[in-house]
Amino acid sequence: MKKNMYIINGVLVLFLITFISKLFSDSLDIINIALLHIIPVVIVSMHGNEKSTIFITLLSVIFFNFLYVPPLYSFNVHNELYIWSFIIFGLVGWIITYQAKNLHSQKRQNEIKESLLHIVSHDLRTPLATIHGSINLIMNNKNLDDAKIKMLLEDINDSSLRMKRLITNLLDSARLSSNQMNLKFEWCDFEDIIGVALEEFPTKLADENLQLEIGNLNLYWGDNTLLTQLLINLFDNAFKYNSNNDLIKLSIHANEKSFVVTIFNKSDTIDNKKIKNIFDKFYRLEDTNDISGSGIGLAICKSIVTLHHGTIQAISKDNGIEIRITLPILKKVDVV
Amino acid sequence: MKKILIIEDDPSVKKLFEITFREYDFDFISCENKRSAMMLFLSHNPNLIILDLGLPDGDGKDFIKEIREISKVPIIVVSARHEEKEIIASLDFGADDYITKPFSTNELLARVRANIRKINENENIKENIICGELQLNLVTRDISFHNENLKLTPIEYELLKYFLLNPNKTLTHKQILKEVWGAGYQNEMQYLRTYVNTLRKKIEKNSTRPRYIKTESGIGYRFCCNTLEDK
Repeated sequence: MKKNMYIINGVLVLFLITFISKLFSDSLDIINIALLHIIPVVIVSMHGNEKSTIFITLLSVIFFNFLYVPPLYSFNVHNELYIWSFIIFGLVGWIITYQAKNLHSQKRQNEIKESLLHIVSHDLRTPLATIHGSINLIMNNKNLDDAKIKMLLEDINDSSLRMKRLITNLLDSARLSSNQMNLKFEWCDFEDIIGVALEEFPTKLADENLQLEIGNLNLYWGDNTLLTQLLINLFDNAFKYNSNNDLIKLSIHANEKSFVVTIFNKSDTIDNKKIKNIFDKFYRLEDTNDISGSGIGLAICKSIVTLHHGTIQAISKDNGIEIRITLPILKKVDVV
Repeated sequence: MKKILIIEDDPSVKKLFEITFREYDFDFISCENKRSAMMLFLSHNPNLIILDLGLPDGDGKDFIKEIREISKVPIIVVSARHEEKEIIASLDFGADDYITKPFSTNELLARVRANIRKINENENIKENIICGELQLNLVTRDISFHNENLKLTPIEYELLKYFLLNPNKTLTHKQILKEVWGAGYQNEMQYLRTYVNTLRKKIEKNSTRPRYIKTESGIGYRFCCNTLEDK
């Protein structure tokens, strides 16, 4: 609703202008009145939406024509020169809309760049700090016993895996937001995808904390790489916010129309307002600032699901959070 | 001692290769570009080549082509993850395997060993092929799993046979479809995905944690025949 308020504003301005013009119609020349009628066109077209621009331009032209262009109070035009005025109305609207669109996409790209920079500087530093610190400890401390060294090396390994996942996400994020994203549709086997996704995590973590429930699934028509990334991000998120190493439950089932993926992990209660924002780019639960990673993961999940015409939602339940994804079946597989 | 030719222009990655190979008793020679690589290959006759795809003096794929005209030496390609198309092209050009940066040394060594071993084994064709708990008799066309006869449909048999004959090697989707289903089936991915899924249900303990048929995402599959030394 808020998004389209500017159209109403434009229309209100148009009414105001009509009122003023009518009031001072004796002292204002028709040229001035025409110029005044361009104002609502400018206001609306700045938002860069063609349809609204066309709408307000037509409205302005109709008002102007009906009330001021002789013969008054009719849609007839005696002097053809006025037709040119109408065309110029349209032209002004079109030029501004076009420029505004460019500006908008530039602004959006700048925002994305900024957020990416933020992630690079903050979130890559966290695992890097672990790696750097652990290596320094090993190098400068000759008395460390083998068990401690092994523990530190495991930390280094985990952190480097985390960095790897983050970098993949950054690349995907740039790809997904550059509008040039062409999905590469192919037949996907979700069991296979789960297997590939789990390879990204330390074996122990995945084997001990994960409970899988996979129904009888046909192949799914989707983008294999992106769906793999979707599952990686879901696992990553669940492992990250899993408070005390409770069991994480992932289930995938199919019905006539869609595939339904749900993942549940126990966590501190999150109020419903926050849960709505969970898929917004770079949103992060405030009180978990120390948990590494970033909101980018779930935002990418949302983009991937949307690109497959599906829905994603987070539900707070059973002292935890469930993420539920519905992916519509776009094409049915021929039985071999 | 087995000799490895390393072609890598990044000094730190090259150093990592060298340290790893020195530590695990491989002999090696290394260079940074295609031109010296060809000279080293001709003068040293290595047992295996590690090839980075992005070289300063040209495309690594051309180098694979040139080598394949004169030799069957195993080639392992090194590349970054986002170069999926490049990897597939290299494998189709005749590279035997690939690893992506960043890689673990375990993974590297496992692939190096598997590819060197393969060359030795290929010299004498056996009638029995054993891989883990799987055993294929090429004469009777029987495949047994845990010493019991494995019931397979004809296509499942052909697929598993192809995997068993090409162990520890990255096989692209196209290669498998062409070899098992025949020319003209190269793009019928749904057949491959379906049959890999059913085959996994028959030979894998946990089909989301496969031991034998590993997925190389976006590229193909590799059939793992790990012996103890690979672990």
